[in-house]
Amino acid sequence: MAGELWVAVMVAAAGTLLMRLLPLVWMQRRLARENSQGGTAAMPRWLGVLGPVMIAAMLGASLVPTAGTLNAWVATAVGGSATLLVWWKTKSLGWPVVSGVVVFGAVRFLNFVVL
Amino acid sequence: MSDQVISAGGRAWVSGVRDAIPLLGGYIPVAISFGLIANQAGFSSWETIFISLVIYAGASQFLFVGMVASGAPLWLVVVMTLLINARHLVYAPNLAPWLTGNRWWFWLMHGLTDQVFALAHTRLPALPPSERLGWFTGAMLLAWFSWVGGTALGAFVGQELTGRWPLLNDVMPFALPALFVVLLAPRFTSWLWAAALGCAIVVALLFAANGLPNMAIPVAALLGAAVFFVMQSNTRAEV
Repeated sequence: MAGELWVAVMVAAAGTLLMRLLPLVWMQRRLARENSQGGTAAMPRWLGVLGPVMIAAMLGASLVPTAGTLNAWVATAVGGSATLLVWWKTKSLGWPVVSGVVVFGAVRFLNFVVL
Repeated sequence: MSDQVISAGGRAWVSGVRDAIPLLGGYIPVAISFGLIANQAGFSSWETIFISLVIYAGASQFLFVGMVASGAPLWLVVVMTLLINARHLVYAPNLAPWLTGNRWWFWLMHGLTDQVFALAHTRLPALPPSERLGWFTGAMLLAWFSWVGGTALGAFVGQELTGRWPLLNDVMPFALPALFVVLLAPRFTSWLWAAALGCAIVVALLFAANGLPNMAIPVAALLGAAVFFVMQSNTRAEV
């Protein structure tokens, strides 16, 4: 890698770290200021809404299967439903994910064997 | 998965590692692809691993090596990389109320990826303050090492791996949407939240399905938030 490419990698890395870090410093100072003024420290309302909708957006974007076939979409729907069903029964983190992947894989494997 | 405070029991970092295991299914196959593609774009295996180690942001790394390979000006490569990562600006402030005063948090922010944020946003409020740093350290390090390890696999033996187990490469990434389903399901607590979250899911799905995955998350999140506030103000006006 040429010298200027190393610089580009390091600038991109430092920039990414600062984008993750500086907003934390800002928010912690804001919360500390509100606390010291005797008020109840709270996040701005818009930020509290943006967190969950960001996770929802990640879910939407990740639902698009790598193989864009009908079977892959069906496997996504069936696997997603299985995940939800197991979560409903167990209210845990690991088992629903494992079940979803197994069901998704089973539907994909059936297609792989049949076709 | 609720706001009730539950001790992780035992060592907190072990609990963090255990909770982050589902991330591996999504991280490793994508990291293998990155290692393979960066190699094909002309980066050596060690350079590829170094990029994953220090930038550690999936989509922007693909863009970085792709633009460099196509001969784009380096300043533009850096600007585009940072633009794609701009969504990370809202992650840490969302976690701030649950982070303790320890200085280590600042360094741990290197590992605040989309998926680690989603996991931490759900788990940290449910943990006692004394266990949060350990939990986050365990979860973040496992995710980071799996990304770097997957990149190394892709860079050194990616071709053989994807050739031998093509279906595995197709199935394992489903762990990510499955994890997001589990993290999001408890948040459907009212019609207001259901509408906002449903809107964000559908819009992101449409953008990603139409070849715009990088725009999907910020645009869908903004529209979801807009739905939330418009519906909330309408409800108040009716009352």
